[in-house]
Amino acid sequence: MATPVLTVKGLTKNFGKLCAVNQINLQVNQGEVFGMLGPNGSGKTTTLGMLMGVVNPTAGEFSWFGQPPTHHIRKKIGAVLEHPIFYPYLSGQKNLELNATIKQTDFNNIAKVLDIVELTARRNDAYKTYSLGMKQRLAIASALLNDPTVLILDEPTNGLDPMGIAEIRTIIKRIAADGKTIILASHLLDEVQKVCTHFAILRKGNLVHSGPVDDVGKGEEIVEVIAFHDDLPAHLNQFQGTKEVKKDGQFYLVKMNNGFHSAELNRFLFEKGIVVSHLATQKKSLEKQFLEILAENNTH
Amino acid sequence: MLHLLKIDLKKLTSYRTFWVVCGLYFITLGFTTASGMEFLKWLANKSVEFGATININRIPLYHFPDIWQNVIFVSGFFKLILAFMVVISVTNEFTYRTIRQNIIDGMSRTEFLLSKMLTNVLLSLLSCAMLLIIILITGFIYSPEIIWSEIFTDAGFMFAYFLEMFSFLSYTLMLGLLIQRSGLTIVVLCLSHMLEAIIKANIDDVTPGLIPFFPMESITNLVEMPFARYAFQEIQDYVSLTSVAIALGWLVIFNYISYLKLKKSDL
Ligand SMILES: Nc1ncnc2c1ncn2[C@@H]1O[C@H](COP(=O)(O)OP(=O)(O)OP(=O)(O)O)[C@@H](O)[C@H]1O
Ligand SMILES: [Mg+2]
Repeated sequence: MATPVLTVKGLTKNFGKLCAVNQINLQVNQGEVFGMLGPNGSGKTTTLGMLMGVVNPTAGEFSWFGQPPTHHIRKKIGAVLEHPIFYPYLSGQKNLELNATIKQTDFNNIAKVLDIVELTARRNDAYKTYSLGMKQRLAIASALLNDPTVLILDEPTNGLDPMGIAEIRTIIKRIAADGKTIILASHLLDEVQKVCTHFAILRKGNLVHSGPVDDVGKGEEIVEVIAFHDDLPAHLNQFQGTKEVKKDGQFYLVKMNNGFHSAELNRFLFEKGIVVSHLATQKKSLEKQFLEILAENNTH
Repeated sequence: MLHLLKIDLKKLTSYRTFWVVCGLYFITLGFTTASGMEFLKWLANKSVEFGATININRIPLYHFPDIWQNVIFVSGFFKLILAFMVVISVTNEFTYRTIRQNIIDGMSRTEFLLSKMLTNVLLSLLSCAMLLIIILITGFIYSPEIIWSEIFTDAGFMFAYFLEMFSFLSYTLMLGLLIQRSGLTIVVLCLSHMLEAIIKANIDDVTPGLIPFFPMESITNLVEMPFARYAFQEIQDYVSLTSVAIALGWLVIFNYISYLKLKKSDL
């Protein structure tokens, strides 16, 4: 198997008595779009700060591309943590030139990345005159500057308009399609579900879940059924895969036992002579899963 | 190395404050050091009105080789203006949090410090170059006769001046990194001499031998005040190796403290 892009072992950060990140173990592989979720103050930004060398870890270690982290490796990673940070008196163009000098890449990419984030027209205006959304876009442009193999984005759509959010999503998907690895911290669970392949959940500095997004909604299914038949609930209960039947508005909600799916229920009803007018599997959203995981861990 | 200097200069050269402060510094420095003779003439004219005569030609302020120590000693007072620029440059990195982004973008903390130190070296060298030009021009204008062997005999003060500038700017950089806010840093910087003077006054009776080792004192001691020689007093008209050694020691200590501070802080 190829070397993982990022391996994190026992990473810990204490701010005085406060344990912001506690013994985190993670692995991110080539080509993954890795979502980092967690409530406010759960340690996402602190974790990313350690990975990017601005926060000194209290304990633990991590490696990029199987190598111990150095500032040379950081040059190949594009990262925006929390807020966009630039020199306010420099223009967007000049700020990117400065970043290109730091990353030791040539200036040819600047025009291209400004184009991607649609800031070309405003490139010679001072950064301090930009709107919040434009600042965010410049930050993303800066992260893309060195044609990075890994992109780290901490709430990149913060303050963007709906069009902007959709554009950023498109950009992320396009970059991911190039085989690049993306680590994305976000509160927009819907976003994460749309773009991420894997996700992890932090709570009070602890890693409480980590796995593929596709696994969300695996496990027991809930099926919505509508059929014009008087004894429908009784019949539904007779199905061997049924765990529980509830009425919810016009639907009957059938909670299925593990391993049973809507198709089998459909066949069962049809054989009983019941023709359904609506039958659909409720897709479990990441949001729902997220809240469930947090609730589970609340009791610990 | 040049790459790191380029990074810091890129931050500064589009910054209006940088040009204003540096312009102010180089103009006052140049104007004051070059106009000493005009000032003496004015003083002589004034005193004629009161019936006294000063023969300004008896005061060889700008004669080779005296000119080196005279001009360089006076120039030392202006370094505070340049230090303000260093304070602004380093504290800006904290108020804008750009130091954080610089590290994220791939500078190491050591490289960040080096880039600031290199700018200090450049500013010190520019001050030296400015003085060299002024000394050579005014020296040739005002020296009654040019004895070639005497022109450069005291040029060693130039090295002392560089050390004075670079040590002081290193001290400023360290304060900026430790305090991180411009206003407070400037206050502490201005109070440094005063605080040191109070401490020196208090230990003067106990262990006067310690006094040359104080940081601000050691920087001032590099080029001592020369003017008493025109009142027929003994002065130190050379750069003492002990002062150089002590100032070099502080130079290393200042920059090492900056290094340690940057290494261990979360940005
Ligand atoms: N420099 C610091 N000094 C002290 N405590 C800090 C510092 N930075 C972060 N913390 C604390 O560490 C914890 C984690 O903060 P962090 O910024 O990593 O959270 P987050 O998951 O990014 O939250 P959000 O979703 O609000 O961005 C918080 O309790 C925060 O108060
Ligand atoms: Mg955060």
